[in-house]
Amino acid sequence: MSKKPKDLPEQEQRAIAVSLGGAATQHTWRNIGLIVGREYKNRVTQRSFIISTIIILLLVVIGAFVPTIIQYFTSTSNVQTKIVVVDNAGPIAGLDGDALARYIGTALNGTAGTNAPGQNTSGKPPFAITIQTSNALGSLQNQVKNGNLNILLVLDRPTNQDVYFTYYTNANATGDTNLSKVQALAQQLNFLDIAHRLGLTPAQTSRLFAQPGFTVVNTGQGQNKRSESEMVAGYIIAIAGNILIYIVIVLYGMGVAMGVAEEKGSRIMEILVNAATPFQLMVGKIVGIGAAGLAQMTCIVAVGIGALLLQIPLQAALFGANGGGFTLNITGASITLLLLLLVYFLLGFLLYATLYAAMGALVKRQDEVQNAVAPLTSLLVIGYVVSFFGVYTPDATWMKVISYIPFWTPTTMLVRIGANGVAWWEIPFTIALMIVAIFVCAWISARIYRYGVLMYGQRPSLGKLAKLVRMK
Amino acid sequence: MGLVVEHINKSFAEFLVIKDLSMEVKEGAIFGFLGANGAGKTTTMRMILDILRPDSGRIAWNGKDVRQVPRRNWGYLPEERGLYPKMKVEELLIFLARLNGLTKVAAEKALDEWLERFQIAANRKRRVEELSKGNQQKVQFLATILHDPAILVMDEPFSGLDPVNANVLKEAFLEMHRRGKTIIFSTHQLEQVEELCQDIVIIHKGQTIVQGSVQEVKRQHGRNVVRLKLDNDPEARWLDTLEGVQVTKRRQDYIEMRIQAHLNPNLIVEAALQHDGIISRFELVEPSLTDIFIEQVGMIDLLDAPSVLSA
Repeated sequence: MSKKPKDLPEQEQRAIAVSLGGAATQHTWRNIGLIVGREYKNRVTQRSFIISTIIILLLVVIGAFVPTIIQYFTSTSNVQTKIVVVDNAGPIAGLDGDALARYIGTALNGTAGTNAPGQNTSGKPPFAITIQTSNALGSLQNQVKNGNLNILLVLDRPTNQDVYFTYYTNANATGDTNLSKVQALAQQLNFLDIAHRLGLTPAQTSRLFAQPGFTVVNTGQGQNKRSESEMVAGYIIAIAGNILIYIVIVLYGMGVAMGVAEEKGSRIMEILVNAATPFQLMVGKIVGIGAAGLAQMTCIVAVGIGALLLQIPLQAALFGANGGGFTLNITGASITLLLLLLVYFLLGFLLYATLYAAMGALVKRQDEVQNAVAPLTSLLVIGYVVSFFGVYTPDATWMKVISYIPFWTPTTMLVRIGANGVAWWEIPFTIALMIVAIFVCAWISARIYRYGVLMYGQRPSLGKLAKLVRMK
Repeated sequence: MGLVVEHINKSFAEFLVIKDLSMEVKEGAIFGFLGANGAGKTTTMRMILDILRPDSGRIAWNGKDVRQVPRRNWGYLPEERGLYPKMKVEELLIFLARLNGLTKVAAEKALDEWLERFQIAANRKRRVEELSKGNQQKVQFLATILHDPAILVMDEPFSGLDPVNANVLKEAFLEMHRRGKTIIFSTHQLEQVEELCQDIVIIHKGQTIVQGSVQEVKRQHGRNVVRLKLDNDPEARWLDTLEGVQVTKRRQDYIEMRIQAHLNPNLIVEAALQHDGIISRFELVEPSLTDIFIEQVGMIDLLDAPSVLSA
């Protein structure tokens, strides 16, 4: 026999305005499980979900292949920059005629290449170099003017002085990428030439080019023995993870809000609240949609990584050993960061999804959802934007403070970790803070939710909401 | 024992929606819950189902507070119908039955039986949105009863049904009644109440104004209504001069009049014979529930101002 409400204090009796679920709480886990199952299945079998997943997967695969395809086309194309070198300066650094042409070809094309036909089977080198004599100068200048010749390079030596270079082109100066390459070549030739005339041996000259021994010792806090490439990988994972977190929270948070509004709109909510508590409905919806989102993301990321890994053998087959290009270099540090990405991603989604659910419960119709969730989206955007400053100042005080605020923790902490700017304790600390925040928000949202799900009138004011939340 | 509602009050913001409402529904009865739009029927039903909680008062089922009654004992058909439009009939009904506490096997078994009874077994694999409105109503009704609840709370179950589907639903009602279920339903079609219900309550502005068995209610509000037909005098103008008699309708087939409670109806016959009338019809009629409803609710409407609590 239950206690009669008459025996309860008057205040408590008045306070119970909306049911917390009473007897339905007996089957919390069973009910949540059923709702999660329905939400998940409903979402992944939706035609729009399947189509959008396929489109994204196609884009990801195309994106992964684009660099290889571009490289393939440039290497097989017949576009060649023709350069005629007129050497009025005599031997430069002891190089003359063919030897000079070979040297210039090596410097510009990266491999030994003159204009000899049939030398390169997988395509012609970007520059074709010809040495001509000075008496053809006038007609060569005309050829440059007409566009028959791309570049004319004239080498002069004013009475036993340093080599003087004259560069003829009809290309637009601002868009001429060849100019800098030829300039670099001229600098190199001049250097060699002077060294030669000073009587240095080739060995001595190459010593002049050698890099000095140079080690950076950083004594700053939080810096550990991570290599340069690990740092770069860290940045990339942090930034990419940030974008992923942002997109997923907006996308699926909206999905949660829409789902709640849809149940309200179709009035099935009235049947559901009879069978399950508002809390069970909310948790079931969030977990179900979250699981569908996670499955979609996992699918996209897995296909993306797979497509990228496919580029290595593909490029090797197309361009041989010197294909170079993409190499995936995942080290231990990157794996830790990836795991943290997953943790912050899940926590961030749960935190925002509870609030999105509450917002969805407060609207009357689905088309009002967009407006209702706008403040939440703004909140997320702040953390997203701030995180990009975190790349440069990962251990500034203001940055630390922001990264401790649960709403902004996922995005900002990731970047700070990526930039190697956190003390070890900050990670468990922020995770704990987020978990606390999730419980607080879930509690508040559940209260708003159970009030909102059967309310079809005016959207309540902020003050009214606060009163609702305080209500037992 | 059945369902006992004792002195419940409920207010939204500063509006007192339910005022000291009490009623009793016997176990196994079909109970008509009547009232004009906005009288507080839906709010009361939600409180009975423990979806909303009263500010004060007590609602108990067989002596047990409704908060402690397991959910699978309740079946609720809300006034605003709603289903998941994209789900298949079968999946939707099994989901709801399981949410209401049935095992998967039991849910499937119950589904087979009821789809057959409602003649919509052919639609089990179709999406809800593809069904006709009548069939959607049937699915909605199945969602209420599939988990075999002991108490059915139905808000306007007959609204929007064509006569054929209304009859299917009525049969289902009687079937549930035979199985010993308690049925509480609200409706505006009072002929159905007279046909189906043993007991009724009429509420108005959150208060009970009429309560009891249909017979009792009619007797309490019984005025004597007489229908008379005279072959040679269809107008019978002399009736207007009789004291204590008020003619309410002059129809082609009969004249209907109210006579005061103390008056013996035989007086009418005597008066008719005095006027050389040839009587082809004379009957004493019970007032219909519709009459009682309009009289009670309409009367109060004139007197009452909206009830506002001083905040």
